[in-house]
Amino acid sequence: MAIEISNRLGLANVKSDYIHAAGRKLEDIHEQLLELEEKGEVKVIRVKDENKPIEADTLFGWKKKIPIDKLWHHKSCGQCGNIPGYPVSLLWFMNQMGLEYVDERNQTSCTAWNYHGSGTSNPVGLAAVAVRNWHRAYELGLFPLFHCATTFGDYKEMRNLLVEHKELRDEVRRIMHKIGRELVIPEYIVHYSEWVHVMRFEIAKLKKYDLSNIIATVHPACHTYKMIPEDCIYDKDIYAGKRTAVSTGVALALGAQVADYSTWYDCCGFGFRHILTEREASRSFVMDRKIRPMVREAHSDVCLTQDTGCTTTLDKNQWIGKAMGYTEQVPVMADVMFAALACGADVYKIVQLQWHTTDWRPLCEKIGIDWKKSEEEYNAYLEELKAGGKTVNLYEYPADEKTGSKN
Amino acid sequence: MKYNENGVSIVPSEFKKEIFDEARKDFRYEEYVRGCLNCGVCTGGCPPHRFFDFSPRIVLQNMKSKDPELIWTMMDEYIWACFQCFTCAMICPFLNSPGGVIAILREIAVRRGFESAKKVLKPYSRVLLKLTAYGNQLSPDMIQPDFFPDWGPHIGYASTDLAVKRKAIPMPTLQVTNLAWDVAPETMKELYEIFDEAGVFKILEAVDPSLYEIVQDIVDDVRSS
Repeated sequence: MAIEISNRLGLANVKSDYIHAAGRKLEDIHEQLLELEEKGEVKVIRVKDENKPIEADTLFGWKKKIPIDKLWHHKSCGQCGNIPGYPVSLLWFMNQMGLEYVDERNQTSCTAWNYHGSGTSNPVGLAAVAVRNWHRAYELGLFPLFHCATTFGDYKEMRNLLVEHKELRDEVRRIMHKIGRELVIPEYIVHYSEWVHVMRFEIAKLKKYDLSNIIATVHPACHTYKMIPEDCIYDKDIYAGKRTAVSTGVALALGAQVADYSTWYDCCGFGFRHILTEREASRSFVMDRKIRPMVREAHSDVCLTQDTGCTTTLDKNQWIGKAMGYTEQVPVMADVMFAALACGADVYKIVQLQWHTTDWRPLCEKIGIDWKKSEEEYNAYLEELKAGGKTVNLYEYPADEKTGSKN
Repeated sequence: MKYNENGVSIVPSEFKKEIFDEARKDFRYEEYVRGCLNCGVCTGGCPPHRFFDFSPRIVLQNMKSKDPELIWTMMDEYIWACFQCFTCAMICPFLNSPGGVIAILREIAVRRGFESAKKVLKPYSRVLLKLTAYGNQLSPDMIQPDFFPDWGPHIGYASTDLAVKRKAIPMPTLQVTNLAWDVAPETMKELYEIFDEAGVFKILEAVDPSLYEIVQDIVDDVRSS
């Protein structure tokens, strides 16, 4: 008799003694990078003790040091203009924990969304942009933390190409000299979701609401775990080490239920180009392959993401589904935003859910969050700002960073 | 490039061979194209395969065939269906990367200014402008009902009082409306130097000459500031 699974709860909690490595045998790029440093070929941005690193396992069981403190925020060019609560929630947590960081104007997009959408760049351009931004963190004595999954995937790829190809290193070094910078490579490429993952138990200490009646579904971002798959966090206690642990880990630590759904591995339908220029493909993909399975199979209250494009695509494309008779809806937000909600961050001023399209209010009500009060306070705040009031910032530029200058 | 009355490109076989050779010379080619069992795992997991006439297995098989005619058949619309999610690369037992091959072929298509690439990328020009001129991408003022009517009525939230709503975001870098974050001019100048040296501006000129002119005007202004 076939087993019917009406609600795929519990799979996220399965434990195992082994991490499945898919039979791959690859060189550890970290070792090769340190060899290049010894030869004087590159400078390495080391994770130092002052970064208070926490170790995590990656796909092959290799150790990855995740720096916690003294970080340089590498923002996402698709996130800041569209999902502002994403980076704000992250900074809010760092403030709660008294951690040091810099968020400044002296950063460019990684340009990889554009590359994967349009092909209008090349490996030299991508690698030079990567090194330029890495060097900015290096000269400030900070470790770079990347907010976007595509940046994470692209920078992992660029690091590997730079380590493996001397011609590319030489060309990027030449360009860096032209702009007064050096060829530096971070010891580890670290995504914000990895920071959230290793900090999940510290985050859980800040919890204000009981999430035990909340069912979350996780959409892992392709560029987190499919680009350079060996460099992504896996945990033997989460999905038995068979899937990446980020995002699921923090949801479990906060006491939410994480439910499985049959198309967990599918992409979101973003397509880089398609979301802007061939949107019917993105729309169909969102509803048929992601939202409907999440709601029908898992009865999901919230979809948790770990990337810019996924959050945008999955959130924005549900409304139009009604035209095809699709009634399933589920609010979409990044893991760090969900965690911030659970820890009492303001729905409007910090988590900034007002920019999201799919209705998130039922989720807030189920958690017990008074979003109406938050809305009233936010509207009053907007009136204050209109009348010339000052923004209450989470972070202020140091004086010399207002210009974005190198000094 | 010439086209017949059905819009099919008329291309000499020497040119097709040149395109294949160009792809094969890319330093990533050997890493992306290895052995292929024709098992089809890549296509089974490929998201766009569900909605388009696109198969990463075919991409790999065509490259393995070394037949310039077969490779040429992919250069117009075929390569633009790929989502670049790299599901294919992750699940391939031989560690091939059809998604990586697609990236190489797309680079060639835009570098050579193929008409098909120009047509596909025309609606993408707003993003290209923001990226190449300002080092940024999706700005708050781009998210308007006119451009995204299918995103529902709430998308109009960004249409009113955008400046004050952005000012209310408690990160100073985000308190702008025309950029995702406020990029310093000195930072933009460094990016322009990279784009010059890496040939990115040249690529833009090949694929969208009028956009290139607009971008260059902005670049000149920023450089002289």
